[in-house]
Order: sequence, then C-alpha cells, then structure tokens
Amino acid sequence: MKDKINEILSEAQNKISAAASESELQSVKSAYVGKQGSLTMMMKEMPKLDPALRPEMGKLLNQAKNQVTELIDAKRMELKLKASEVSPDFDCTVPGILPPKGGLHPITQMCYDLNDAFRSMGFEIFQEDEITSELYAFDKLNFPPNHPARESMDTYWLEGHDSGSTNEKLCLRPHLTGGSVRYMQTHKPPYRFVYPGRVYRNETTDAHHERAFFQYEALIVDKDITFTSGKVMIKSILNKVFGTDVPVRMRSGFFPFVEPGFEIDMQCQVCGGKGCSVCKHVGWIEVMPGGSPHPNVLRAAGLDPDEYTGFYVNIGLDRLVMMRYGVDDVRLFHSADLRFLKQFR
Amino acid sequence: MKLSLSWIKDYVKIPDDMDLKKLAYDLTMSTVEVEDVEYLARRFDNMVVGVIEKIEPHPNADKLRVCKVDIGGGDVKTIVCGGINLSEGMRVAVSCPGAIVRWHGEGEPVEIKNSKLRGVESYGMICASDEIGLGDLFPASQEAEILDLSAFDVPAGTPLAEALDMDDVLLEIDNKSMTNRPDLWGHYGIARELAALYDLPLVEFKPYEPETGNEFKVEIQSPERCARFIGVEMSGVGIQESPYQMRNRIWKAGMRPINALVDITNYVMLATGNPTHAYDADNITDHIVVRQANEGEKLILLNDEELNLCPDDLVITDSEGPVGLAGVMGGAKDSILPDTKRVILEVANFEATGIRRTTQRYDFRTEASSRYEKAVDPERCVQAVSLAMKYFHEFYPELKVTGYCDQYVKKLKRAEIDVSLTWLAKRLGKNLTNEEIRNKLELLGFDVAIDGDNMHVTAPTWRSTGDISIKDDVMEEVARMYGYDNFEATSFTTTFEGAINQRDQDLIRNIKEYLAIRCGMQEVYTYPWMNDVFVNAVLQDTTGVLRLSMPPAPDLSCIRSSLLPNLCEAVVKNERYFNDFSIFEEAQVFFDRNYTSPYDETESLPEQRRHIGGAFASSVKDITELFREAKGVLEYMPRYTHMGAFTFRKEEKPVWADNVVWLNLFLGEEKIGDMGLVAKKVSMECGIKNLSVMLFEMDATKLKPLKSRTNKFTHLAEYPETDYDISMLFDSDAAWEDIYDAIMGQKKASALLKEAAFVDEYRGKQIPDGKKSVTIRLTIGSGEKTLTSQEIESAANQVMKKLGKKMGAELRTQ
Repeated sequence: MKDKINEILSEAQNKISAAASESELQSVKSAYVGKQGSLTMMMKEMPKLDPALRPEMGKLLNQAKNQVTELIDAKRMELKLKASEVSPDFDCTVPGILPPKGGLHPITQMCYDLNDAFRSMGFEIFQEDEITSELYAFDKLNFPPNHPARESMDTYWLEGHDSGSTNEKLCLRPHLTGGSVRYMQTHKPPYRFVYPGRVYRNETTDAHHERAFFQYEALIVDKDITFTSGKVMIKSILNKVFGTDVPVRMRSGFFPFVEPGFEIDMQCQVCGGKGCSVCKHVGWIEVMPGGSPHPNVLRAAGLDPDEYTGFYVNIGLDRLVMMRYGVDDVRLFHSADLRFLKQFR
Repeated sequence: MKLSLSWIKDYVKIPDDMDLKKLAYDLTMSTVEVEDVEYLARRFDNMVVGVIEKIEPHPNADKLRVCKVDIGGGDVKTIVCGGINLSEGMRVAVSCPGAIVRWHGEGEPVEIKNSKLRGVESYGMICASDEIGLGDLFPASQEAEILDLSAFDVPAGTPLAEALDMDDVLLEIDNKSMTNRPDLWGHYGIARELAALYDLPLVEFKPYEPETGNEFKVEIQSPERCARFIGVEMSGVGIQESPYQMRNRIWKAGMRPINALVDITNYVMLATGNPTHAYDADNITDHIVVRQANEGEKLILLNDEELNLCPDDLVITDSEGPVGLAGVMGGAKDSILPDTKRVILEVANFEATGIRRTTQRYDFRTEASSRYEKAVDPERCVQAVSLAMKYFHEFYPELKVTGYCDQYVKKLKRAEIDVSLTWLAKRLGKNLTNEEIRNKLELLGFDVAIDGDNMHVTAPTWRSTGDISIKDDVMEEVARMYGYDNFEATSFTTTFEGAINQRDQDLIRNIKEYLAIRCGMQEVYTYPWMNDVFVNAVLQDTTGVLRLSMPPAPDLSCIRSSLLPNLCEAVVKNERYFNDFSIFEEAQVFFDRNYTSPYDETESLPEQRRHIGGAFASSVKDITELFREAKGVLEYMPRYTHMGAFTFRKEEKPVWADNVVWLNLFLGEEKIGDMGLVAKKVSMECGIKNLSVMLFEMDATKLKPLKSRTNKFTHLAEYPETDYDISMLFDSDAAWEDIYDAIMGQKKASALLKEAAFVDEYRGKQIPDGKKSVTIRLTIGSGEKTLTSQEIESAANQVMKKLGKKMGAELRTQ
C-alpha cells in the first residue's frame, strides 16, 4: 500500500510537470484527486484496511493528496504567468501611435544646431532688427557712395524713406553685416558672436534665387587673431551641417567690408569633388564669403584697427540646407507648404 | 570677361606645356575666379574646309543643289545644299557627320548625320556662318547665304578650327570677382598677373613717339574728372575691313568686329583695358574741350538716343557743343561714317565715380563705362596709344599724323604704404622671411624698401587708383601670392568668464520648440510683405503699416505689422491637402511709429517687434474642441517655457475675430496678444473653404523669461486622496471661471477640497433648454487621516450645496 501510494505520487508528479496546458492539468487533477481519482479511490477503500494500518495509511494518503493538489496549483500559476494575455493572432506589425507630429522649419533646425556648436565655443547669439538705414547697411561697411548694391534694383527701400541722406533712407536689410557693427558699437571687445537672420534682396525669383533668405554670420574680433583662425569657424559650420569634415578652400575674393577677403568653397558633396553638374564640373562649390573686417568697418564700430582684427564668415543657410537634403527649389522654404515642411524632423 | 589664351601669350611667355587646369586653378585661388576654360576648337570638331568641285540641280527640289565637295585627300562627297551663293571652286565650311550645328542658327544644337534630302543621299552639310556659331564674325548679308571661305588659302580637308585660327583656349572670368582690380580688365592685365604668379617675363609696350611737331589742341576744363587726354589727329584713313586676326580676336573676346577704325579702338581696349574712341576729324569744329555739361544741354548719342544733360555729366565738346558723353559713348555727330577720311583718336582717362553717376542717371552701361568706373590708371594711356598707332600704321600705310597732344593734367601718385613687419607676421600667423615678402611684392610690381621693422611699399601705377591704399591691402597681396591654401588653420583661444546667459534668446527657442515638438505644430516661414487681399480681410486697416517703394508685386507692398494675414494665406494654401493642421511663425513685425535708434542719434528706425503667431485649422474638430486645443497650447506655454505667466481676459475684440470666441492675453496689466476664432466674414474673404481657424498672436518682445526653472515642490500626500465626480445643471451662460471660483475661491466649499477640475460640459438631449450640464472632478483628502466614504460624500455635498446657492445649480437627476 505504501509503495503504491509512492508510485502514484511520483507518477502524478511526472504528469504534472509534463502538463503544458490548463486542460491537461485539469485531467491530471481528476485522474488523481478527482471524484474517481486514484488517490480518492484509495481513500474510499480505507475501511477495508487493517485498522492497525489505517491511521498511518490515512496520513500518507492525505499527505499525497495535498501534495498533488499543491503541485497542481503551483503548476497552474506557472502556466498562467507563462501564457500571453492576448490571443496568438495579435498583429505586431500595426503602426505605432506617434507623438505630436509638429516640427521646426528645416532652416531653424540647422540654425539651432549651429547655435549649439558656436555656444560651445563661447560665442554669443545676436539678433537684430530687419529694417535698417543705409548708414548701417552700406556706409559703415565701407561701401563706396555709388556702389550698385545701394540701387533700388537690389535693395527693398521703404516708401517715404527712400531718399535723403543715408541715415534717413530705410530698407529691409540686404545682409546681416551692418547689424554686426551695431553689436560691436554696444559691446566691449573681444567679440565672439553669431548672428543668424533673414535678409532681403530685390531679385527675380526662380529655383535658385529668392527675395528672402537666411544668413548665418559669425564674427570674432580680438587682439591677436590671424585670418587663418577663420578656418576653424568654417570647419565648425560645415561639420555641423554635413556631419563630417568637409574639405574647404579659401581663395581671393573681394567684398568692401573685409580686407583681405575670401571666397570660401567647399568640396562638392554630391560628387565628392570629382566634378558633376551640381558643381559645374569643378568639384568645388562657393558657400560663403569671409575675411578680416576692413579697418574702416572696425573704425565705424569704434575700434582701433591697429589694435584689433578678426575674422568674419557669412553663410547662406538656404543653400546649405538645399545641398544637405537635395532640395532643388529655394522657393519652397517660404512656401509654408506643409507637404514640404513635414519632411524635416 | 572672355580672354583668348593666344592673345595673352602675346604679352607673357606661358610655357607650351603649362597645365591649363592648373593655370585656371591658380588664377582662381590667387586672383580672380575663372568660371570656365573652353577649348574653342572643340566647337568645330568634325568640321573641315571643303572645295566645291561641281554643282548640279536637285532632281526633286528647285531650291536645293547637289554639290560634289572635295573634303580633303581627293575624298569627294555629295552634299545637298540650299545656299544661294554657291559657286564651283568656292571654299566652304563642311560639317561632317558628328559635328554639332544649329539649324539656321536657331534652336537646340543638333548632331550632323548622313541623311537623304528629298531623295538624294547627302554627306554632312555646307554651313552658313550662324549655323556654326560664327554669325558675328562672318555676318551674312542675306538669308541662306553660305559662309564663303575662299579668302582663306588652305587646302581642302584642313580642319576648320585650324583654318580659322580657332585652335585657342578661352578663359571666362567672373566679372564680379575683379570689380576691385581695374588693372585686370584686359588681356595685358591678366598677362601681367600671370607673369607675377609664375615669375615669367612680361612684354613691355614701346612708348609711341609722335611723328609730328604739330600740336593738336585739347582743353581740359575739369581736371578732377579728366586726368589725361591723349589726342592723335590723322589723315589717310578710311572704312575698310580689319585683318582677320584682329576680327578673330575681337570676336573671341565677345564683341563684334565692325570696321578697321572701330576695331582698332575696341581691340586696344580689350588688350590694355583702356577704352579709346575715334572721332571723324572733319566733323569737329575748332578744338576739343573736355568740360562738365550745361544744364539742359542736349547730346544725340551714337545710338541716336537724345540726352538732356546736367552739370554732373562730363562731355567732350567742340566749339559747337557736345560731341560725346565722356567715357561712356560717342555722339552721333562725329561718329565714324562710310566716308570718314580723317580721324581723331582719343585715349583718355576719366574719373570713376563721375562715370558711374552718369551711367546710373541714364541707366545704361557700355564696355567703356564699365571699365572707367572701376578706376583705370592714367599711365595706361601710354600703352593704349602705342598699340593703337601700331595698328593704324599697319592698316593704313598712307596714314599721316597731323597733330598730337598729351594733356596729363592730374598726375597719378603711386600709393605709398608703411607696413610693420611684426604686424604683418602677426596677421599672417606665419613668419615669412623678408626676402620672401620682398620677392612676392616685387613680382607684382611693387617697390619695397625694408628698414628694420618697417617696410616701405610703393604700389605700381596700375594698382594705385584705390585698390592698394592701406597696409591690410599689402598683407593681402603677400598672403595671396603665398597661397591661402598654404596657411594652416590656427586655433583661437577663448576666455570663458562664466556661462553665456541669454535668456531672451533661449525663451524664443523654447517657445518654438514647445509649439513644434510638444504641441505638434509646424513652423512655417512667410515673407515680410503681405498680400492686399489678406491685409484687407484680416487687418482691415492699414494705418501705421509700412510699405515698400518697389514691392515684388503691386499687391505686395505692405510690410507686415502682424503675422496673421500671412498665416491665413498659409492656411488657404494648405487647405487643398490637409483638413486638420496647426502652424506657427516667429518673425519680426514693423510699425510706422516711434522712430528712434539706440545706435546712432542721427538714425531713426521704426518700431520693430518680434511676434509669435499661430493658426489651428480643422474641418473635423468642432469649435469647442479647436478652441480648447488652442487655448491649452497657450495656457501651458508659460509653465513649460519658464516665463512669467499670462492671463486671459476679454477686453478688446480683435477685428478679425468671431463675436463670441476670442480672448486677450495679458501679462500683468499689459495686453500682449490675442486669440480667437476667425470670423466667418474674414474667413470667406481670405478664401478659406471648409476649415474653422483659431488664431493667436503675441508680442514675444514683451514676454519675461524666468531666471531659472521654477518648479515648486509640495510634500506627497500622506493619506489617500479621492477623485469624486459630480455633474450639475447650470444656466447655459454660467462661466467655468465662476464655477471654479465658487468651489475653490477664497472660501473653499469644504476644507477637505484639494482641487476641482473641469471634466466636460454638455447641452442637448435630456438637458432642459437654457441649461448645461457640467461635470466636475473634485479631489478630496485630509492631511490628518484617511477619510471615510461618509466624510468624502459630505465634502462633495457641501460643494453641491454651495454651487446650488451661489450659481443656482441643480444636481442632474436623469
């Protein structure tokens, strides 16, 4: 009898641990401890047993029954925790619910990336008003009195403010550099600032020409700076935009407000410098003017050019962003067309 | 500017094995941008000189001929041609298969192929001049005229490029890159620069020695405007064609050959950069006077245009009046005519800004004026006259010089500059030896004297008209000759004096990132000018709005004083593609008022502010939902971006807003913006079709960034708090603000109340007319113990009782 109980018990243990589902477990349960279960049946046969053995056997049987029940409960919990809460046909390929899908304008994004880079180098961010006088747009930047850029053909003058002396004539700023003079006038050197902003030119528009576009100006002025320091600024900008070190070259260029002046070219990112239609087969793309502020500009800002010098670059953000993403029409930036803007995250 | 390499080689001995790509690169890096290097001969690939041996009629076409053409080595081809001037023995340009031509000089270039013309097999084509791009060099006198090359004594089969001296390279230089280098405007100038870059010998012009003692009288009355006037009076000239080489070069430089007299003057200008002019001497009365024009004086130009002159114009006159607009264009009266026999050659120097003012005044430029206005040096007149006279004598063996003068009234002073060598080394970031520096400058024609730390530099005459004037200019010369690419990038050092703290800047960025990233709005850019349609619809009044004097279009003259008109325009544009979207813009707005300037007391700038505006547009949300969305974005903004909180009040309805749905934004007692639903009428005028649009706009310059993040900590509740919802019927016009105030105001409805929140409101079925049901979530708890359900219910009952008493609210029974 004792052996039989142990035999049934170990048989039951094996079946329980082998059970893979609730229903299997249920049939194990009824096979051993159910109404017709083998342990129950043995219990029922107790009266037929030798009374001397009954207490011991009864105890053993009860223990076995309890043990089986406990094992079944434990197994049931185990099976329950293992199982999924949903049916196996749950589709995991349905798309997720996205967080709010707004975004900054691609030029703002690029501008902020650049701001972060320059802040980390100790540059301030400067912002100035968009309407300026001819005095700051041209005079203070060493533009000669009859320079063609001053003509209404190129600059948006304001009605009622389009004649008179240069401090009376007002226009939408044609470039940022005049604002840099304002910064220098009101701050103490050394200077280290970036100046992002929109500028306006009276142009006929097409896929490559806009009337409103973004410039990013960076200026550093200190006592002992050589123009070669400018290369660091240029590299920082291009690295931030393109995510990699882009080869650049500085070549002779002329702008009234710098001396010496440079045209700064970057290696064409479309062909890697081999020459393609984008770079007109030269491998280089003109990206920004740069140079040391002209002594007259420093003087206009109230500085002694014998003491101070610096380096300036001014980059057209629209063009860089176009190049970065392969945008082929500059007018899209001011289109407010969500089909375009929503592509940039 | 287009330059012929073979012409440049007249003046500087460029080695034949020079890599032209490198030459263009070096010139680009150090001097001017070479935009294109063109191997001219390639235009004439597969074109040869052919000799017509026989001409027969075409069997199927009256206007066509069938020619037997020898294209070299006895190879005679049949070519069908419609030319009207064909003759046997004529030399012609034959485009063989593979050549690129333009039919009749028009349209896209096409490749020549063997073809059948009206049933007759034809090899290639006999070309007219404009079909192979030579219309300006060999102008045809009538249509369908074939280019007659009989004057070129070359055998059949000679490549056309070789026969026509087109085996040349054209350098195209970006004019913009040489505005500050008047010395480079001409083949000689570029030759001189190349000589300096590569240390090559440069050809010097032999000064002209007049072969007459007769003085030709010229009077300069405005020496400030005319520094020099060399006049040469000649007889024995006449109208004839100039030799091919001269015509060829003029054509290569992008001008048209005219006749020998005009060609010489143009050629000299293209070579030396100094414009020259020839007058018909028989039409000059008495002598030449250079003076400023009288007010209202008239001048008929070469092109028959009549000008009303003013005293700021400089004119060349004879005793009868103006005969030319100095440095710009000659007059009709003394121009070269078919019967010209005697000429006066003018080689003069005019002051740059005066020329520029005149061309701006009359709004036209010429080859001459665009050179003079860059400031040409007067020493160059010597080269120009020497070259001109060489050709006059060469073309007219009978020529006699009958008068000569050189009025040099304002001598050019060579620019002298002292440069400290220590300063130079510091600015260059590199130590060059004195010899290196001297060598670079001397190659460019500078005289250099070094004494200790001081370098005394004297610029050459051709660089002394303003181009070189300060020591920074000298530094640039040294640096570019050394090669900018040869300077290593040097790092700069920073002194950090604490973190950069620009709260205003950061606030704007935080707001924009909040709107875009947190609130799901899309940032847009629009122009600073507004379309009149949207100005009229949204602003309805243009008082104080600034305007452009030359706007991009007549209906775009208003400069924005608000972001809303352009935002509405953006809504209209996007309605075609989207039915539920929100956009915002941050930009500057302008007002015709409060003129002042913090920078310069003589300057006065209008009021300019920075605004942030937005639009929520939807045809799927109801107005309440849209309103709550927009209001929520604004409500949470100060909290999220850490700025001084603003409040909503209803004080002044924005003109564009619906009569009911609008709010003003206040910061303290100051109004800083508005929000509201676009009124139906405004929306219609804008052209918005199905969208409901909620707008907001605020003056970002007035927002106050907090000094740092300002979050407040309160202890976590020790005993549980319970949310308890109640729904009550209120009068339909009851305001949530008042309901909230009744519950949570100064005297809270129950001491156990922690918070009361709006859940929703409902009007409609089961709600009596004039009533609305508002569901409120009460948070009830105690700092001392866990409340029993009776205590919670009694707190809620207190609230309901109070709402009943103060607001006449009833418990919803249904």
